[in-house]
Amino acid sequence: MRLLRYAVIVLIIISLCSGCALFGKNKEFQPFDVSALDTIAPGKSTATDITAIFGAPTEVVKMSNGNAYIYRRSISKGTGVWLILVSFGNFERQHDQIVFFFDKKDIVTHYGKSLNAEKASYGFPF
Amino acid sequence: MPRKHHMGFRFKSIRILILLLIAGIFIASCISFEMVKGIEGSPVKPPGDKLQVGKTTLETALELLGAPDQLAEMEGKDLLVYEQTLYRDNRISLGIPLGDITGPNIDLSAYGTLVRYDTLALFFSPDGILRDIVFENGSDRSYMKTLFPEEEKNSNSSPQNQ
Repeated sequence: MRLLRYAVIVLIIISLCSGCALFGKNKEFQPFDVSALDTIAPGKSTATDITAIFGAPTEVVKMSNGNAYIYRRSISKGTGVWLILVSFGNFERQHDQIVFFFDKKDIVTHYGKSLNAEKASYGFPF
Repeated sequence: MPRKHHMGFRFKSIRILILLLIAGIFIASCISFEMVKGIEGSPVKPPGDKLQVGKTTLETALELLGAPDQLAEMEGKDLLVYEQTLYRDNRISLGIPLGDITGPNIDLSAYGTLVRYDTLALFFSPDGILRDIVFENGSDRSYMKTLFPEEEKNSNSSPQNQ
């Protein structure tokens, strides 16, 4: 009799917890060669030098004194759990970004970098 | 006799458990609760004293904050935007599919989707000097108060007309 009761309890737990779990990872990613930034010299390096090292920019923006090239890579991580009555989902997307500012002669004036793509993590929404 | 009582209790509890199990299987598709959270981008902090209008240069801002998430030119000024997006979605639904028996289905659902932004916008003049700062801390606002601002106002205001 005790065995039957345990069996029923286990069945209830299994039926309530049955469902699906998902861990997903998405990369729009070709890692930047950060060491190549050491070769960039503001006031000297040109837009041609930049594209030779980093390839085609993700975005080009016209600025007041020239242009800016944006290079962006992303990592997204998602977690999902579907139970019978409740479901939870969590996603996080982080970027690696480098922005180069050029003057009107296409010479690099400044650049900034944020390398956070690897900080994307799995988790729950609470 | 007491032994029979004990057996009766056991049978009763098993019967309840089995009923619960059957009920759980049947209501599985009728009731559901969903909670989703999303984050895009790194945390954006208040600018503090590190950034000073009229003094801070574009170079300093890039060193302190890194690459901006968005860039634009606005009426001769350069706009740098640092932003983190926070997404939250909660929904609960109750539906009893009686369509084939009674006609209309019973279907109740409620959901709230909220996207909040922490944004720091920096305006630079063409000579690369910081001219203006705008900071918006959207994540400070609570989920429920943002979704139901009217209810909050109504509960705070006392009736004036008697």
